[in-house]
Order: sequence, then C-alpha cells, then structure tokens
Amino acid sequence: MKKIAVIGSGAGGLITSSKLAKDLSKEIKNGEVSIMLFDKKREQEFQPGYLEVAFRGTDPAKIRRPMKKLVSEGVKIVHDNCEKVDLPNRYLKTEGSSEKIDFDYIIISTGSSPDYDQVPGLRDANMDFHTDAYNSSLIYQQVLKIKSGRIVVGIGGLPYKCPPSPNESAFMLDEHFRKAGIRDKVEITYITPFTRIYSADSINEVIAPMYKDRSIESVTAFNTDSVDASKKEITSLEGETMKYDYLFLTPPHKPAEFLKNTELSDEDGWVKVDKRNLHITDYDNGFAIGDTTNIPISKAGVEAHLEGIVVANNIIAEIKGTEKRYKFTGRTQCSMETGFHKATFVVGTYDTPVQKITPSTFNYMEKKVMEKIYWGSLHGHYEWLFKYHFKKDYFEN
Amino acid sequence: MTTMNVDSRGTACPGPITDLIRAYKKAQNGDMIVLVANDPGVVPDSKAWCERTKNVFVGSKNIEDYFEITIQVTGKRA
Ligand SMILES: Cc1cc2nc3c(=O)[nH]c(=O)nc-3n(C[C@H](O)[C@H](O)[C@H](O)COP(=O)(O)OP(=O)(O)OC[C@H]3O[C@@H](n4cnc5c(N)ncnc54)[C@H](O)[C@@H]3O)c2cc1C
Repeated sequence: MKKIAVIGSGAGGLITSSKLAKDLSKEIKNGEVSIMLFDKKREQEFQPGYLEVAFRGTDPAKIRRPMKKLVSEGVKIVHDNCEKVDLPNRYLKTEGSSEKIDFDYIIISTGSSPDYDQVPGLRDANMDFHTDAYNSSLIYQQVLKIKSGRIVVGIGGLPYKCPPSPNESAFMLDEHFRKAGIRDKVEITYITPFTRIYSADSINEVIAPMYKDRSIESVTAFNTDSVDASKKEITSLEGETMKYDYLFLTPPHKPAEFLKNTELSDEDGWVKVDKRNLHITDYDNGFAIGDTTNIPISKAGVEAHLEGIVVANNIIAEIKGTEKRYKFTGRTQCSMETGFHKATFVVGTYDTPVQKITPSTFNYMEKKVMEKIYWGSLHGHYEWLFKYHFKKDYFEN
Repeated sequence: MTTMNVDSRGTACPGPITDLIRAYKKAQNGDMIVLVANDPGVVPDSKAWCERTKNVFVGSKNIEDYFEITIQVTGKRA
C-alpha cells in the first residue's frame, strides 16, 4: 500500500488531494493507495474574499465552507495539525502525539500567516485583512465610522501573500469614501518598501497614474520598522516617522511554526524546493507547494493550485508506472481590483516577465467568475477550463 | 561587519528587490549585501532603492548571464 500524506487543507492541499483521489480511485478501492489530509481546521475560507468583507461589508459566512464539503471521496481527513516531518525515515507526528504515522509520499501545503512579531506595535494598531474573515469583518465596522483623517495603507513587511492585495485595499478605500461623499475629508497614503507603487514596472505603469487621479498619495522605499499605537506613528528602519489616524498595513508573513529550524527549510522556515518539480530539496518522495515554499514568486492561490496539479500528476505517474513527468512553469495570475468594477491581473511565468494589462470591467468579471467556481475548483471540477485558460503555462511536460 | 550573500537568480515577480529588502531588515549599518540576480532591472532598481533609503550602492558587475550588486548598509537609524 502506498501512503500519501497531504499536510494542510487550503487551496493547495485540497486540489492536490482531489486530483490524487480522482486519478487513483481504482487503486484506493483496491487498497493499494491511501490519501490522508491533515489539518486542525474544520472549515475553510476563500481568502481573497477578506477584501470584500473588510471594505464592502460582505457577510463572512458567505466566504466560508465546512471541510466535509471540500474533501473529495477517497481522501481521509485527519483533524490534527502536523508537528514533525521526518523525511529520511518517512514518518510524521501530529501535535501532542507520539505516534509515528508512516508515509511513502508527503506534500506540505501549510500556507503562510501574518507575523506580527517582526513589526513591534503593529498588531495593536493595525486593521488586519490577512488573518481571517472575522477580523476582516471588524474592519468594516471601523471603516463605516471614519468621517475624516489620514489613512495609511500599504505593505508593512515582506514577504506577504497576494502581492496586489495592499494596492487593492487602497483602491477599495478610495471607492468607499467617494461613494460616501467624504473623499475630500479623508487623506489616503500608500506606503511600500519598493521603489514603485507596484514592484513590477509593467503594473506600476498601469496603476501609478490611477493613484494620481484618485489622489492616493504614495511614499515609496518606506521600510516599516515599528508602530507606536499611542502616538499613532510609524517609524521606518531609516528613522523616518509618519503619522496616521487609521492604519491598514499588510503584515509580513511567516510559515507554519513546525517548519522552522528544520533541515527542510531555509533560515526563515520556508521549505526549500526545486522551483520546477517542487521536490523538497534532495528528497524524491517529499514535496511542498503554495505559500510555504521558498520559491521566489508571489504567494498566491493560483500558484498553489498549479503546483498541486504538477505534484499530483507526478505522484500518479510514479504509482501507475508511466514515464511522463510534469513541471511547474512559475505561472502567476493575481487579480488586482482597481475599484468601480474594474480589475487588472498580474500575470507572468519563470520565463516571461509580468505583462502590462489595462484594468477593465471584463477582467473584473473574470475575477468574479473565479470567485463563483472557487470551491468547485478545489474538487478539480474545472481543470478543463484552467488547461484551456493557462495553455502552455498550465504545466510543462 | 558581515557580508550577506543573496542569490536571487531566477526570481520572478515580485523580484530580487524583495530579497534585498528582506536581507536589509536583518542587516546592521556597516554590513555589506551582495545580491546576484539575472533580472536586468535589478541594477537601476537597487540603485534607486539605495538613493531613497540612504544606503550606498558600491557597484555592479555583469558576470556571464547575471549581475552582482554590492550594497553597503548605512541607512539604518542607530
Ligand atoms: C486578502 C487576500 C487576498 C488574496 N487574493 C488572492 C488572489 O486574488 N489570487 C490568488 O491567487 N491568491 C490570493 N490570495 C492568496 C491565497 O489565498 C493564498 O496564497 C493561498 O490560499 C495559498 O494556498 P496554500 O494551500 O499554500 O495555503 P492556505 O490556503 O493558506 O492553506 C494552508 C492550510 O494549512 C493549514 N496548516 C497550517 N499549519 C498546519 C500544520 N502544522 N498542520 C496541518 N495543517 C496546517 C492551515 O490551517 C490551512 O488550512 C489572497 C490572500 C489574502 C489574504
């Protein structure tokens, strides 16, 4: 019996386990393969929806689904978090348990989460739309109360997930206050450690003029070091200070705690993988996908999904004894909402730089379609569509 | 004084400046950061970044298919 362990049931872990279960259904029925999915969580959230919850008041319940509806037939869910992975000896342990759980293949997809310890004072001062839907819903209540003052929004540290999300929050705040008729009373300042409003030049060319038109001030090369919530002041690594009345910073992110200080990870705990075949460096039977890897591309759901498909295909091929192997192309596709029903996309691969895409209502509609099909896509229902959409970037074979 | 070597070769969006900024956060005044990257934009981008953050752009070399950029950290508040 080949035992496959998937750690983390988010965007990456779910599609990987679904694809494995579908293509190995015969082997699972015959008792030749088992798939175990580990995650303490009992429900999942559609994370891109945090923006809608925080800045448009969407009901958090609308972006949540119970795990039992998301796990595909043939996958056994274990509601425990993983605490240790021993790759050479092929076993894992769950939190608080001494039992060794054997595996033949392991896929680590434990994502990333805000790391407030990196920026003293930020936790108390910040309105956070990167943690969960509940925290995001608290923001909307605050936003409704703002009648005037200085908003500081932007990037509070690196790395973080979904590169366009800080820019989107600035656009959405601008839209909110325009619709409320008080935009002239609210100053919006966007801060970023990069030298441009968006790190990739092609997208910066698109959005920088929009920031100007919308009167969103920008302060680039600002490296947030700490925040003093009582003085309402941010200090940069260089010692510059900036005052705010309301703070909406995207915090730096960290990997799952159990990965830190292990041979699998780099000095910050991100799992070291080959960026094309996604093997945990030097191990044939270990893989990592999604936000938790040290791959130098954006941390986003599309990448987690396409990486999961590559890894699942390669495990399936190995188990079935076929020759074909697949590689991840580095394809990114993050939507960036620019307000008033328009959006652009940040699209690139390892070999093609980020494209210049003008914001349009059509792009916004594409983003909305993705929201509608998201949960079904985790079951693998839309691979035909993604294959058609991503074409040669879907995977390399 | 320490030298931090940052290998950003093959880095796609959001680019080698991300790696530079992450190393800078851990560095102290006087440290050197040696960044290697094959994205040609890295030279003007790191130059502009040094000017804005008051760090010193020591120089850049074009070696085979990549660039090596040396930066001295001087901009951090004491
Ligand atoms: C505001 C916002 C906007 C975004 N917008 C977009 C967008 O437009 N497009 C896009 O592509 N992406 C977007 N993203 C990013 C996207 O949601 C993530 O990149 C994606 O979910 C990553 O998938 P993952 O499987 O790596 O991690 P996740 O989906 O975060 O899943 C990780 C799972 O691992 C579990 N876990 C953690 N530790 C352990 C452990 N020790 N043992 C077991 N399980 C564990 C967690 O409970 C979690 O369920 C956005 C994110 C945010 C916050």
